[in-house]
Parts: sequence; C-alpha cells; structure tokens
Amino acid sequence: MNGVTAFPYPVPEYGAEPYWQACNDERLVMQRCTACSKFRWHPAPICPYCQADGFAWEPLSGRGRVHTWTVITHPVHPAAIGKVPYVVVEVELEEQPGLRMLSNLVDADPAAIAFDAPVALGFERHPSGQKLPIFRLA
Amino acid sequence: MDSIHDRASIVGIGHTEYSRDSGRSELKLACEAIGAAMADAGLGPADVDGIAKYTMDNNDAVDIARCLGIPQLRFFGEVAYGGGGGPVGTVMLAAMAVATGQAKAVVAFRAMNERSGRGTPRFGQASTAQGARGLQSYLSPYGLFSPAQMVGLAARRHMHLYGTESRHFGAIAVTCRHHANLNPDAMMHGRPMTLDDHQNSRMIADPVRLLDCCLETDGGAAVIVTTPERARDLRQRPVHIAAGGSGAGAWNHRSVVKDVDSPMSESMVIAQRLFRDAGITQDDIDVLFIYDHFAPLVLMAIEDYGFCKRGEGKDFIGDGARLRWPDGDLPLNTSGGNLSEGYMHGMQNTIEAVRQLRGTARCQVQDARYSFVSSGNAVPTSAMILRRDA
Repeated sequence: MNGVTAFPYPVPEYGAEPYWQACNDERLVMQRCTACSKFRWHPAPICPYCQADGFAWEPLSGRGRVHTWTVITHPVHPAAIGKVPYVVVEVELEEQPGLRMLSNLVDADPAAIAFDAPVALGFERHPSGQKLPIFRLA
Repeated sequence: MDSIHDRASIVGIGHTEYSRDSGRSELKLACEAIGAAMADAGLGPADVDGIAKYTMDNNDAVDIARCLGIPQLRFFGEVAYGGGGGPVGTVMLAAMAVATGQAKAVVAFRAMNERSGRGTPRFGQASTAQGARGLQSYLSPYGLFSPAQMVGLAARRHMHLYGTESRHFGAIAVTCRHHANLNPDAMMHGRPMTLDDHQNSRMIADPVRLLDCCLETDGGAAVIVTTPERARDLRQRPVHIAAGGSGAGAWNHRSVVKDVDSPMSESMVIAQRLFRDAGITQDDIDVLFIYDHFAPLVLMAIEDYGFCKRGEGKDFIGDGARLRWPDGDLPLNTSGGNLSEGYMHGMQNTIEAVRQLRGTARCQVQDARYSFVSSGNAVPTSAMILRRDA
C-alpha cells in the first residue's frame, strides 16, 4: 500500500488505443457509428444502439452538462489520501442526448456544482504520462 | 409449464457465525455452512448431487464435494454478477437443475473471508495495481473504485429527480439495525442506531454516508434445493419457489454506473413476469428481503419491483415504521440484512426468508405466506418469491 502515490493509469483496451492517443494530443474523440451516426462511450467493438460494426473516430466539442456527481471524501486507495475531497462527475455531452462519460470535475467548489451546470473539457497528465480528459465548470 | 413456479423447494438452511475474522479458511466456512444446511434438511452427502456458486466465490465445487464426501456430482454451475447478483441466482440455478431432473438436491452457497481479507479482498478498498484494465481503465484513473462511490452518483441523481432525501435512506438503515438488535447472531447486535446517528455518520461518497453502506464480513451461508415432492418427505416444513428470474436492462450494456433515468431497470425486467408467474401481486407479500448493499439502492429496488411507483419510494418508506417488525405492515430484512446482520452477499437474507415461511424467525411475521427476495440491483440481478404450503 505504502508508496502508491497515483491512481492507476489506463491500460488501453484492445481497440481503444486511438481514444487514449487522442487524449495525449488533448483531443476527445469517440467512435461514431457509420450506420446510425451515434457516438458511444466508452469504446466498444460494436454499436450498442444498432449493432453495426463500422465506425469512425470523431472529435467532440468537450462541452456538456453535469448529469450527476459524487464528492468522494473517504479514501479507498492510498493515492486518495492526499486528494480527498475530489469530485467524480458524469457529464452529458452536447453532441447527443444520453451520451455520457465519467470523469473528474476539477477546481470546483463542491457547493457550486449543480445539475445541468455547463462544463468544459480539459486534460490532466497522469504521472504515467498519459493525459486524462477532465472537466471544469464552464 | 413455462416457469419455475412450484417446481423447486428450499429444504435446508445453514450458516456459520458472521464475524470480522473467522480464523479459518474459506473452504472450511463453505463446508460448515453447507454441512449445517444438510443437517437441517436431514440429508447426507449421498443425497446431494449438485453445487451452485457465486462466480466471485473462491471455493471450487469439487473441493467442497471432496471435503463433504459427496460421492457423485451431477450438476455444478456459477452465477455471474455474483457478487450481489448471486443470493437468488444461485438458488434459481439449483431450482432449474432439480426441476429438470438433472440433479436431485443442489446446494447454493456463499463463503468468504471478505472482512479479514484472508482469501477475498475487501470490497470497500481499492486494488493498488498500477495499471487499470478493461472497464476499470475508464474509472480507476479518476479515483472511481468502490461500489459506494458509484452508488453516490446514482443516489444523487435519484434525489434530484424525485426529491428523495438522505433521511429516507436512513430509515432503511435504521430498520435493518432495529432487526439486528433483535438477532443475537447479528454483527451489529447490541449497537442500536437512530436516524440522527445515520444523519451524523460521515460521508463516504456524498450523498452516501457510512451508515448507508453494508458491513464487511467473514462467514458462510448455504441453502439446499430439491423438488416439492421430495421436500414434503424431508425434515423441515418446505418452502417453495413460487417464481424467480434474472434480469439485466439495456442500461447495463450502455452505461457504467446505474442509469437512474433508464425506463427499464434490471429489477423491472424481472418484475414484468415475476408476480405473474407466482400468481400474486405485490400486495400479497408478507415480508420483504431486498438486497441491502447500500440503502439508496434498496429504495430504488422497492420502486422498480413495483411495490410503489418510481419516485414514490420516499413516500412508501416514510420514516420506515412500516418496514419494522412487529408493528410494520411490510417488515424488511428481518434478521438485519447486509447492512446490520452480516454481509454474506445476501445469502443471509435468503435464509431468513425461509425461516419466515417455516415460522421459525426471531422477528416472526404472523402467518407469513409469501416472502420476496432480491439480489443486488445496479448490477444484473435476480429475484424470487417464496411461499409455504397453505
């Protein structure tokens, strides 16, 4: 336990490498189905809406709204000890109703967070070097 | 015949003590619990020929058969999402095996050293592996690890949509503690809890408080399932499976954490036919066993199994008085549940549901005829209705 100072880094799933590579370029991309045009998060091999195989990686604006959030105050991981309280947020992205992703809401006073509050994308570098998409109140 | 209705019965129940450190192996706990259930049923090793387990259980069916001297196994299977999906799912596996004649008597069990960590890592603590793989690769880098944290996201959304308050979750926690204090075998026996205690307990993942969370426990629990015909010749008053099923909703495939807005939750998938198969309605249920991993999810399960409409859980529960034995009209988790008896992944609720129908519960609901039992929601889950002979 001692000596672990960072949350785990993401090991890209087979097929999800472009998602993480784009993050390192500070771009948020998702798979968009070439049959039904729907985005999906997280990466998946087949469209969960129409079951088509085809997709293209397409960029998103990074603008969205707070769907829900939790303020984590109890550290369950050694790296959390110095980080609590921190906010995990589920953001609904503007491109598509119901397109939601999990992330952190950083630099936010928990009391200032509200449902449907607009948020904007940013990136933070994990100690492993991988950049992670995060959000701030817009 | 298009359902499991009245084609399988629970004839034996057994469990170890529930503790913070069992002092023995998970295999020993499994064998003690199963052995107790066999003795309760009046069955010997040669009478049992099947074992149904939770996927998360470290014990191997053949190891158990060897230790217990079961000479021939004709059925073995595991229930995924068990975990919390297991306490009914394993019983349903056993029921289907005996109903189809594939086995004569099947054990469903859970045994773990989840609190001491001697065999099973504590669920309330995160792995310290440096890389996160699979689904975790989208969660762990953000410090999203534990079930309580994921429930925090869902609970806050429910509060927003429906005006549910923390005190409604507290009413559930206080109810389970009330029953634990009437059960000397419960881990929280002798430790009363008030709503103020709940409201003053520290935040874990706001809005989830410490006292919204289940215990962590070492122990073992088991039931034995056979056919109704055979059940009537055995030692105990038989308890029949009036209906049962498993379910997952579309959100389970598209969303990582529970989608409170989903029009068809995993519980609703099951509820669509559960009561029809049993030939009863929610009003006929005498005693309720809702999987209580986290109090907010108990409220959502009560709604989604149709005991009230979605969003009306707060009014249905109120201050919780109706859920508390002896005066409540629908007692909940009468031995204390995962929240206050012991966290046997819900198998302790299955056992208590059987006691209620045998008439041997400590908090005995008068003339109880139907028990409702659910596995954990927010993951693919399972539920059943148990009945006794009239």
